[in-house]
Amino acid sequence: MNTPEKLVPTIHSWTEPYWKAARERKLMIQRCKDCKKHIFYPRICCPFCFSDQIEWVEASGKGKVHSYTVVQNNPPSAFVKDVPFIIAIVKLEEKVQMLTNIVGCDPEQVKCDMPVEVTFERVNDEITLPKFRPAGR
Amino acid sequence: MSKLKGNVAIVGIGEVPTGRFPDRDAIYHAIESSRLAIKDAGINKGDIDFVMPAAALYSAQFSTDLACSRIVEELGLKNVRTNCQIFGGGSTSACFMQLGGSLITSGIAKYVLCVQADRVGTGVTAQGGIDLFSAAGISSEWERPYGQHVSSVAALISTRYQYETGTSDRHMAAVCVSNRKWAELNPNAMYQKPLTIEEVLASKMLSTPLRAKESNMLCDGGSAFIMTSAERARDITDSPVYFFGEGSRVTHFALSQEPDLTRFGWAEAAKEAFEEAGLTPKDMHIAELYDSYPMIQLITFEEIGLCKRGEGGEMFLKGDTWPGGKIPTTTNGGMLSQGHTGAGGGVAILVEAVRQLMGKAGKRQVKGAQFAVETATGGTYMDVHVTILGNTIP
Repeated sequence: MNTPEKLVPTIHSWTEPYWKAARERKLMIQRCKDCKKHIFYPRICCPFCFSDQIEWVEASGKGKVHSYTVVQNNPPSAFVKDVPFIIAIVKLEEKVQMLTNIVGCDPEQVKCDMPVEVTFERVNDEITLPKFRPAGR
Repeated sequence: MSKLKGNVAIVGIGEVPTGRFPDRDAIYHAIESSRLAIKDAGINKGDIDFVMPAAALYSAQFSTDLACSRIVEELGLKNVRTNCQIFGGGSTSACFMQLGGSLITSGIAKYVLCVQADRVGTGVTAQGGIDLFSAAGISSEWERPYGQHVSSVAALISTRYQYETGTSDRHMAAVCVSNRKWAELNPNAMYQKPLTIEEVLASKMLSTPLRAKESNMLCDGGSAFIMTSAERARDITDSPVYFFGEGSRVTHFALSQEPDLTRFGWAEAAKEAFEEAGLTPKDMHIAELYDSYPMIQLITFEEIGLCKRGEGGEMFLKGDTWPGGKIPTTTNGGMLSQGHTGAGGGVAILVEAVRQLMGKAGKRQVKGAQFAVETATGGTYMDVHVTILGNTIP
């Protein structure tokens, strides 16, 4: 079977700063100017207070693994050659949650609440995906 | 409190066996389920004035056919005012109840036919099924680029739930075994052979801690039911099943954005549903809980108040949920054993709740069952729906 291409995110006007920063290996997230809460993923308006006054700030890039799974069999066809790989939900210090991959980590070693930090994997000229690795390595 | 309480009833159910039927076009499942439901209700097909087909997943063409009144024409229903497609993924059953019930209490409709049919077993390849469901309720921008798919969704919830509650892999497997014990008694189930905990634990690891036999199997099938007013129901049948209460919440689109990965909104939804019904979890004779994967059935079981958090696994292991147990649960075998027909897994569970309360469940009939709690959830557990049904006015 031919492996289909992995899905690459489409860039929109309100997500463009996120992807531009990722290309520069920086993790930028939104913050609402009115209610001051951090926002992820990028929104058109604040999901907490409905304000449209949203700014971009650089995130700490540090967080904890809230949950994880090691994918071993039956992934989507574009990922068949990647197994085993780790999918995780990471909670950043800024209290936003992201779906991501944990890289640079033995699948046996990943644990809930393990500290992680951001790293970046280039996909193409436009898209670089933020991923996470064990903190302090 | 809605006007539906005590004023809406299900008066007929129909279902075809779930499984792999390469020679049966999907329309067969829709028409035969509908025909059986109309016959079961004992009404004339000309009484049906509103048809609500669920959207189908395996084929956009088939789904469009259903939106464009194919069922009305194939069944020869002559007095239908509206054919309106409904879809809430796994929650379609709850959408049927809320919307169909509202149409009846508002007087817009007298007899609503709700029907779901799909062919996600033989209509798509095995890998095609994985890819299809990897695009259902999973964000194309923020999750799919990382390889997120249905097994990893279930696995992420399981990991955190087991971490927080101490629920073991054996407890998770026990849910599959409990559902299979019921499916052994269900002639419409895809899997009717006995299953052991050891067999579940020895099956292929998909995404840790989720194993192959903890995963539902996509299949072909369909089910249907007829709703009408409680008043009309009493005139046409001795066994109407009444709607008594409902609670629901939408909590996310992308799983990674769910505020509480091990609770969702089940407790709040259940509180609303039981309060509306004027009943408590202890009053329930059966629990028809949406499964799809064991962790969601366990989380639901605990959060809606059938036991304390973290104690559900032991109850499934001991047999409290089995035939003859304290609280018979998911008595058709659920999607883990009866099979997953797209949005139909949830519809089949609702139909099973009604079947039990009508006293038509054959070998798996729970004797004297008067009240049931029934649940549904769609997408990547984007929402929670708790419904209380009964055959006796409390």
